[in-house]
Amino acid sequence: MNEQALPRRNNEGFLESANEWTQAVAQVIASEDGIKLSEKHWEIIEFLREFYGKHEIAPPSNRLFVKAVREAFGQDKGNSIYLMQLFPGTPAKTACRIAGLPRPTNCL
Amino acid sequence: MTTLIVIDQAPYGLWAGREALDMAFSLATFDQPVSLLFTGAGVNWLRKGQTPDAIEQKSVERNLSAAPVFGIEQLLADEASCQRYGLSPDELIDGANMARGSSGLLASYTNVIFSN
Amino acid sequence: MKLPMSQIHTLHILNKTPEHPRFNECLAMMGPDDALVLTENGVTALWSTSKAALPKVFATKADLQARGLVAEANGATSVDYPELVDLTVQAKRVISW
Repeated sequence: MNEQALPRRNNEGFLESANEWTQAVAQVIASEDGIKLSEKHWEIIEFLREFYGKHEIAPPSNRLFVKAVREAFGQDKGNSIYLMQLFPGTPAKTACRIAGLPRPTNCL
Repeated sequence: MTTLIVIDQAPYGLWAGREALDMAFSLATFDQPVSLLFTGAGVNWLRKGQTPDAIEQKSVERNLSAAPVFGIEQLLADEASCQRYGLSPDELIDGANMARGSSGLLASYTNVIFSN
Repeated sequence: MKLPMSQIHTLHILNKTPEHPRFNECLAMMGPDDALVLTENGVTALWSTSKAALPKVFATKADLQARGLVAEANGATSVDYPELVDLTVQAKRVISW
């Protein structure tokens, strides 16, 4: 899949509709950030997709993203360093962008 | 410092309540103890079985189900208001509890903020 | 500084006009050591008939000016934003109605 074939996105690269997400879309968006998706990435992406399906909201801030991951997977993965290594920048924003979710509301 | 955010308006008609929810999530982000009290028409936020797809809004029921994950301490429903809106305890969404006498409750927090 | 030195127990910040149900709820909850700050459309209360019932009361200067009102004539003290912050710091508790 190339850039042109991606579903509609906003000016920060977030999908306009979470329903249009596919794994192929995730790979293209991740490559824009220089990320090659591994099993570890997919685990978090799938967690976020499930979280959004259940609560109709993405974790609104980076700290709440870390908190939610910690609740689900424990301290080993639910910490800033682990998530920062997988999703550089602001992990909640980077991960939500790749997972096709809306931009976290309280992230700068 | 403890904060109680009070929502006294029905869901879906106005944005004010969602802004209050955002405020609660922001406080939780910085590990500030925060609870939500639903009173008056606001208790309708806590009714099970909301399906707002046809009005193209996100379900506040589902949004609120994330509150415990984010560390929001309590979801409280004013009992008298629940009676007025025909809500019995078993019709409340999971994690919400009845509270009796909200004025005593207001006096027990350092900060009380009504949503607009 | 014209702000009171005595401790405020609860500071009530009220931005609703007297017609709003929360206006009376607020007045009903006010105790003897509490203070009231009128902000936004709340400042109109100083000119409404219900003002006789108002206790120790402040009003934000910018909101008064915006509506062509002056506080002092009606027994209230006007405060700018830094003074409003001082009041919230002095108070043990704050309720934003």
